[in-house]
Amino acid sequence: MTNGSIPIRRLRRLSTLLLTTALVVAAGACGSGSPEPAPPAAPGTPDKVAVGVIAIVDVAPIYLGKEKGFFSNRNIDLDLQTAQGGAAIVPAVVGNTYQFGFSNVISLMLAQSRNVPVKVVSNGVNSTGDANKDFGGLVVKDPAITSPKGLAGKKVASNTLKNIVDTSVKEIVRKDGGDPSSITFVELPFPDMAPAMEQGNVDGIFVVEPFLSAALAKGWKMIGAYADVDPNLCVALYFTSNQLIQTNPDLVSRFTEAMQESLAYADANPAEVRAILSTYTQLTEEVRAGLTLPKWKPDIDQAAVAKLGDLAVADGLLTAKPDLGALLP
Amino acid sequence: MTQAAPTTPGRAGASSVLLGVVGLAGFAALLEVLPRAGVVPAEYLPPTSTIGRALVAQTERPAFWTAFLDTLQTWLTGLVIAVVAGVVIGVVIGAVPVLREATASTIEFLRPIPSVALIPLAVVLLGTGMEATLVLVVYASFWQVLVQVLYGVADVDPIARETANSYRLGRWERVRYLLWPTTLPYAMTGVRLAASVALILTITGELTIGTPGLGKEIEVAYSSNAIAAMYSLVVVTGLLGVVANVVTRGAERRVLAWHPSVRKEIPA
Repeated sequence: MTNGSIPIRRLRRLSTLLLTTALVVAAGACGSGSPEPAPPAAPGTPDKVAVGVIAIVDVAPIYLGKEKGFFSNRNIDLDLQTAQGGAAIVPAVVGNTYQFGFSNVISLMLAQSRNVPVKVVSNGVNSTGDANKDFGGLVVKDPAITSPKGLAGKKVASNTLKNIVDTSVKEIVRKDGGDPSSITFVELPFPDMAPAMEQGNVDGIFVVEPFLSAALAKGWKMIGAYADVDPNLCVALYFTSNQLIQTNPDLVSRFTEAMQESLAYADANPAEVRAILSTYTQLTEEVRAGLTLPKWKPDIDQAAVAKLGDLAVADGLLTAKPDLGALLP
Repeated sequence: MTQAAPTTPGRAGASSVLLGVVGLAGFAALLEVLPRAGVVPAEYLPPTSTIGRALVAQTERPAFWTAFLDTLQTWLTGLVIAVVAGVVIGVVIGAVPVLREATASTIEFLRPIPSVALIPLAVVLLGTGMEATLVLVVYASFWQVLVQVLYGVADVDPIARETANSYRLGRWERVRYLLWPTTLPYAMTGVRLAASVALILTITGELTIGTPGLGKEIEVAYSSNAIAAMYSLVVVTGLLGVVANVVTRGAERRVLAWHPSVRKEIPA
């Protein structure tokens, strides 16, 4: 009987745990399951805002802006959540799990063409404008390939097919007088591209930082960059759902202002950007010091966005010109 | 652990622990030598010593400990839900023949569905937080417990059952003195299996859904080109699995101290 009392005590402890967990699960399910519009917060209490980002260099301004208080100043309690990519962020923003998200320009145009109710609220990240020193570039291992048109008939790695990277590569090759339609694109995640080229599975890779620096450190050659597509190329943007714009336009405009301040601050303070990277990436100090940082413009370059839209139409990603008036603020 | 172990097999236990350590050391040595000898590229599979240094560096990051605790929380919460649900539902279904027959085909249909196939559903319904990964964890580990408990309940000795009839034991007493002692060893096996399955699904969910935890840190290290850091996090998840196994085996020995399968180790 002395033995018997132990399991019962354990069971009690177990049942307490179960109850607690059941409550936690129930609360969580209610919290995120139903997409209720976030009501304007009562005066004095900040708006809780979740933003879906990707744990890469591009989103350093929003982390820095949060640290600097650019969001809390405007009564925004920012919760940055990292996701794998735009494919996961767009549905979460539309479902109001995140109030804002970070996505590349082509993905947003594709979403708009499928009538997904999203709208851009802020600029995200731009090319440096320097084709020899950009944060995303086309790299080859074979010294015989000296210019982009030399990739005709070859295999090139792209992180996603029919998106911004392969569109950029095609434009770089086209501008060099080559035939982009003869290139075979191979879908590979950025981290796997250098090993694939090392093994000879692909002839060219388009990588972004930190993989670009790592590839160049191997002695490989950069033959093109985002800047070759357009010196002001706008790569990605921050967006929200049309629903949030209708229900809480004040929050959206405060977020836009905070983003503008964050982008300008990040662009002016590269040392602080390199430091903040250690908080949400696993980049080593040495790698952080050597990175080529992108350009962070506070305002959206409409012409550069329009150019990507034209390229998407030319490459058959979109059937009609994107309605930029509806997509951009 | 050594206190709980019976005295005589203690020596055998010590030597098996020793052998285990030797095996692990051999593996570590092999992993040190292969990249250094150039058999595998050191850039993509760093030697043990590099991974070890990366592991030390990880323990100095606050984000690592947050992720570690997040993983523990998701894992244990999922495990507790699965075990309690598995035991309660298993005993109820197992004890009522009509229910058992009515649910058998459904259970056999649902059980083989791989938990990861539910990822899209979990993300759409619950987002990318802990709840989504919990769905995977609970779904996968629940069946481990349920099926063991069902077998356990079905294994009640007919003579014991008839004895219980003769003594006119009530419903609750039957569960307590007849069903539970027979089922407990099965349930404990279920718990041990569920613990490792729950860990696998916790890391999988974090890796693919992006739920905060060690799995997500592995993904962040991967996309930061921090290969040694990535391996060091993989090592941590492996160590968690070892701890889970040791703890559940220890619990099994304690809870079943009265059971012949454990008792027989004590010399007569």
